[in-house]
Amino acid sequence: MKILVIGLLNLRRLFRDRSNIFFVIVVPFLMIFMMGLMFGGGQPHRLGLVGGDGGPLAGRLATALAGREDVEVVPMATEDEVRTAVERGRVQGGVVIPSTYDADQRAGRQVQIRYMIRSNDMRALDVGTWVRSAVPREAALLRAARFGAAEGTTTFDQGLQVAQRAQVPGVEVQVTTAGRSVFPEGFSQFALSAPPLLLLYTFLTSLTAAIGLVETRLTGISARMYATPTTAWSIVAGETMGRLLIALFQGLLIMLGSGLLFQVRWGDPLAAAVLLAVFSMIGAGAAMVMASLFRTPGAAISLAAILGIGLGALGGTMVPLETFSPTMQTVAHFTPHAWGYEAFVTLVRHGGGIADVLPQLGALTAFAAVLLPLGAWLQRRAITR
Amino acid sequence: MPLLEVTGLRKSYGGHVAVDGVDFHIGEAETYGLLGPNGAGKTTAISMIVGILDRDAGEVVVDGQPLDVTSVKAKALIGYVPQELALYRDLTARENLRFFARLYGLGGGGLKARIEEILGIIGLTDRADEKVEQYSGGMARRLNIGIGLMNRPKLLILDEPTVGVDPQSRNSILESVQRLAGEGMAVLYTTHYMEEAERLCDRVGIIDQGRLRAEGTRRELVGLVGETDRVTMRAEGDLARAVEDLEKLPDVRRAESGDSQIELLVPDARTHLPRILETVAAAGAAVRTVEVREPDLETVFLHLTGKALRD
Repeated sequence: MKILVIGLLNLRRLFRDRSNIFFVIVVPFLMIFMMGLMFGGGQPHRLGLVGGDGGPLAGRLATALAGREDVEVVPMATEDEVRTAVERGRVQGGVVIPSTYDADQRAGRQVQIRYMIRSNDMRALDVGTWVRSAVPREAALLRAARFGAAEGTTTFDQGLQVAQRAQVPGVEVQVTTAGRSVFPEGFSQFALSAPPLLLLYTFLTSLTAAIGLVETRLTGISARMYATPTTAWSIVAGETMGRLLIALFQGLLIMLGSGLLFQVRWGDPLAAAVLLAVFSMIGAGAAMVMASLFRTPGAAISLAAILGIGLGALGGTMVPLETFSPTMQTVAHFTPHAWGYEAFVTLVRHGGGIADVLPQLGALTAFAAVLLPLGAWLQRRAITR
Repeated sequence: MPLLEVTGLRKSYGGHVAVDGVDFHIGEAETYGLLGPNGAGKTTAISMIVGILDRDAGEVVVDGQPLDVTSVKAKALIGYVPQELALYRDLTARENLRFFARLYGLGGGGLKARIEEILGIIGLTDRADEKVEQYSGGMARRLNIGIGLMNRPKLLILDEPTVGVDPQSRNSILESVQRLAGEGMAVLYTTHYMEEAERLCDRVGIIDQGRLRAEGTRRELVGLVGETDRVTMRAEGDLARAVEDLEKLPDVRRAESGDSQIELLVPDARTHLPRILETVAAAGAAVRTVEVREPDLETVFLHLTGKALRD
């Protein structure tokens, strides 16, 4: 009972502070929204284009490039301008049609179309696929027109019109995924951002809540609690429960809120709940360990920020783990976040159940099994020393 | 049977002995003061007595119940008011009281009534639902004491409750302690203010460098170090003869006259004063005013330790 009293007090105190409400509730949703836009699919891509007005043939190519609903072609004046736009992320890709494009095509000379992207921009890969399909399609028509002109059966322009009208049965392409698709069909961008951010924020909030523990000790409240007929273990268990409740509350809020606001489906509810509970225990354990190491809140808050954000970044909660090099993916698995990320990927993207995430749950349980008892023991020692 | 019995209490940190074999006891309804300068070992001793700090040696018994850090039953008999403002500043007074009451095992219908009662005692009824961070230092101090009273303790332990408090709040705190003691609560009060110990305590233990140097009532302590009262009389007439006669009285250590006044040193002046006045009158001198200055605990402390309380 006393454990519950202490635990619930922590939760109550968290929401007493309006800035906490902002950081614990509002910020995660903002981040889910922003990260979803940054890394998720579905949003329009911008393609910078130079030379689209260099002649009728260049205009045809520009029209072809703009032929996909989610690609917006942005006309630009120079190659430098498009390069800068790509570098600054204003456009996801840049295409440069040379000024001699029309003349060279008509003369049957080879033409080089330059395509620029940032190598680490995931959305650029999508745009690149579109450019690499649109340009050859236009090139095929031009080749057909040139062939007619070369054979003397028609002029280049007439041949181009004929080729344009020709109904050539296409090649039916059937796509099958070998192994498991990283991003399955119909996957929402927010379903990509919500799970890692849930991991990032529940862990970060748990760590920052450790400051409360340091303050409680510093102001003599822990000692005063211990002077009541309450055992040290009850106090430690109550404080642990407080951290756990805070993490669980935030995690549940992110799950339910992202479901309602962004239609994120978290997969098997039991598996998702177990994952959240185990991950919250890790956060609570880490918070207890950290709180016992510091005598002042200032030092604790600095380390909380460094560890919370650092481990989160390393564990793939800021940039998708799939984009990490194999070596970094191995390193990432020294953090609980990477295991949590993998487990949520299985649940959210691939409809897995609790049996499918047992290895990740095992690893996470091991983290919790080390951190929780260690944190509790250190806290008890800190209270009575 | 004493309500609190402390025997051979000892605590050291590395090579530094913070508390070194402290023994004392407190009876029912008695107010006992631990008087000593900062760093004397008062808080360490109190921390062991309330069971929040493990001791190296010694024994603490409260109302027949042995008490250590693991005791639960004995801790329920004590109300503890720490030196720090051990309060949740982001909660209201009522919420603070309710939280600690629950830790003392209070609940049910009586809890609400007890909270109201305590709020009345500490004079915070009107501001019970304001956050502590909006309180003045004195109000927060009063709440700090109120929490210590929640469980109707048999023994109230206050560790320097007036540190950093303005004179008005300080006086209010001292009055509260006097009132509680008057109602029959035993009190253990630590301070480095001699006046507080003199005003509140039935008996005082003088502690320095972790050791209890002496204990007793104020009178006993003064007697222990052989200090005498100083009596100053403004008088007219034959002062020289009066001094001569006064020196012949038993217990008068020294008498001298000058500038229309007589000064003499005598133990327990209040007892001897009628005889002294009779002697002066018989010598043909008329006494206009009498001032008796008793040696205070500061003097005793200085005598025992060779340093002032605020050194």
